[in-house]
Amino acid sequence: MTFIGSNGMPIEVLLVEDSPGDVRLTREAFREANLAIQLHVASDGVEALAFLTRTGAYAEAPRPDLILLDLNLPRMDGRQVLAHIKGDDDLKTIPTVILTTSEADSDIVMSYTLRANCYLSKPVQLDAFEGLVKSINDFWLTRAKLPQRQPAR
Amino acid sequence: MARPLAVDQQTDADVRRSSEMGGAHLAQTGNGHRGGDEAFRGNEEQYRLLLEGIQDYAITMMDPNGTITSWNAGAEQIKGYTAAEIIGHSFACLFVPEDIVRGRPKELLRITADRGRHVEQGLRVRKDGSQFVAALTLTALRDGGGRLLGFSEVSHDLSQSNESGAKYRGLLEAAPDAMVVVDQAGEIVLLNLAAEKQFGYRRDELLGQKVTNIIPVGFAERLIADDLRSAADALAQHMGTGIELTARRKDGTEFPIEIMLSPLENTEGILVTAAIRDISVRKAAEAHLAQSIEELSRSNQELEQFAYIASHDLQEPLRMVTSYTQLLSKRYSGKLDADADDFIAFAVDGAARMQLLIRDLLAFSRVGTQGREMLNVESSEALDRALLNLQGAIEDSGAIVTSDALPVVTADGAQLVQLFQNLVSNAIKYQGPGAPLVHLSATKSGSRWRFSVKDNGIGIDPQYFVRIFGMFQRLHGRDEYTGTGIGLAVCKKIVERHGGTLSVESQPGNGSTFTFDLATESAK
Repeated sequence: MTFIGSNGMPIEVLLVEDSPGDVRLTREAFREANLAIQLHVASDGVEALAFLTRTGAYAEAPRPDLILLDLNLPRMDGRQVLAHIKGDDDLKTIPTVILTTSEADSDIVMSYTLRANCYLSKPVQLDAFEGLVKSINDFWLTRAKLPQRQPAR
Repeated sequence: MARPLAVDQQTDADVRRSSEMGGAHLAQTGNGHRGGDEAFRGNEEQYRLLLEGIQDYAITMMDPNGTITSWNAGAEQIKGYTAAEIIGHSFACLFVPEDIVRGRPKELLRITADRGRHVEQGLRVRKDGSQFVAALTLTALRDGGGRLLGFSEVSHDLSQSNESGAKYRGLLEAAPDAMVVVDQAGEIVLLNLAAEKQFGYRRDELLGQKVTNIIPVGFAERLIADDLRSAADALAQHMGTGIELTARRKDGTEFPIEIMLSPLENTEGILVTAAIRDISVRKAAEAHLAQSIEELSRSNQELEQFAYIASHDLQEPLRMVTSYTQLLSKRYSGKLDADADDFIAFAVDGAARMQLLIRDLLAFSRVGTQGREMLNVESSEALDRALLNLQGAIEDSGAIVTSDALPVVTADGAQLVQLFQNLVSNAIKYQGPGAPLVHLSATKSGSRWRFSVKDNGIGIDPQYFVRIFGMFQRLHGRDEYTGTGIGLAVCKKIVERHGGTLSVESQPGNGSTFTFDLATESAK
């Protein structure tokens, strides 16, 4: 049995985030945490679903090992994306972590109701943000056992 | 002296006809009617003397336009004018101004001309301006061909009358409110001048009519006794207290009224006197006030929403500024020149401070927008939680925080924790030479508990007692004490949301005592 990250296979992470600043920060933080991570970016919900369903320009997209999902997105927001992922028999096994600025109780409750695997709010300070990304890497991509990826079609 | 009208031209037939139409009886003469001028003049003289001698009744003659042509001694006695003063003037000068404005004198003449005779009680004005209630009978005087020659008016002063009914009518008439007397059948039996004016009807149009014509709903129902209670009992429930209803004028327009009912027993049963006050002005003022309050609270709410949204949305771009200046500092400090290090340090510091300000602004606006339900809260538990949150600061400063037994209060628990936390935190932060000593206590005062938070810190100059509760107000440089100056503003807002006040007593160097009040435990 092989697990992700072992035997030199890159770890595929899909970041659904519309702010280029946040994308870069996350990229920088992952670079420090784990060089094996391949970070893919979708800047709104529609793009995220196209990536996940390998539609259009994303026909060759890999199946991500982990999804980091912001809630407030243009076109289709994160709640809809989450509902779609967790309602889809093929996609629902992909751990989906909400990573957002919102600290509203209503967002937290709704996310878990829609079966998010974890809810994280973005810390304000750079150190804390780097620490958070590191802990995502340590837990979800290192310690947690995740389903083995299907061979590429 | 004017001649009495029409006497010499009337025939017996005329008199009968005149009688039938309610016309004048003055012309009825026993004999000598068709006799010579001599005889008639004798009669005329007798009548003149008779009329002039009457003291208790004012007897006046007018031409068809209402110009006074004769005036007896009674008229002078009752109304104050001498014959010489008044003859040749319109009888309108005897009416109250309101009646003159609405054309009542002319109208009375028209009614009398139409019907031959008209009886009413009405307000009249004396020469000296005083008003009185007169009972009066107007009679149209016509010649043999039916041509209108003029009018007679016989009146007396009801306010001088000893008859109680008359006195009552006098009082009723003079009342500033509209007064309507209604019988058990809901029919109007009496009304005053103010009622005529308020409802736009002439008196004779309302007498005998159903009161529902002017007060469609809510009044007549109250007059009716049901099986279980007598009319008197039914009424007793409504007596004295003002009942707010809607009234309808003759032209169909409606207006709000307040009526006060009082029963009046007479031989025919119970009559009800309703004093009716037009409360349009009061209602409009109330509506205006309610609207102003609503607008004010809406604009307040909008302002709070604005502060909340602004501070919330500002966090996003600010997080970028903070993160990237920190990243810049982390990667490039010491790798560029000294100036670059300074600039980066200022940018990092500025962004960090702005972040604190926005965080605090958000906390402040949350007091109003995100407040929770007021419940019974153990204030000692709220204090414990606040102290737990302050554990680090308490240990670092060596502060000793003590409290008396604290009561159960009606409060938003989370906000009470924040209130204690901010006040104790301030007490520790502004510490004097020794270790901070903070003591909390509460005393009951009526339905409120007065809490005190007393410290031995540096104290506050009384001139700053108001300023310290303002938003972002600081008394010290940032080097001396950290913070944005929002803490006490948040405290004040929390206490005010709980219906209390927050105040301070202090002297520089002698510590400070902050006091606030909260509602006592509420009954379940």
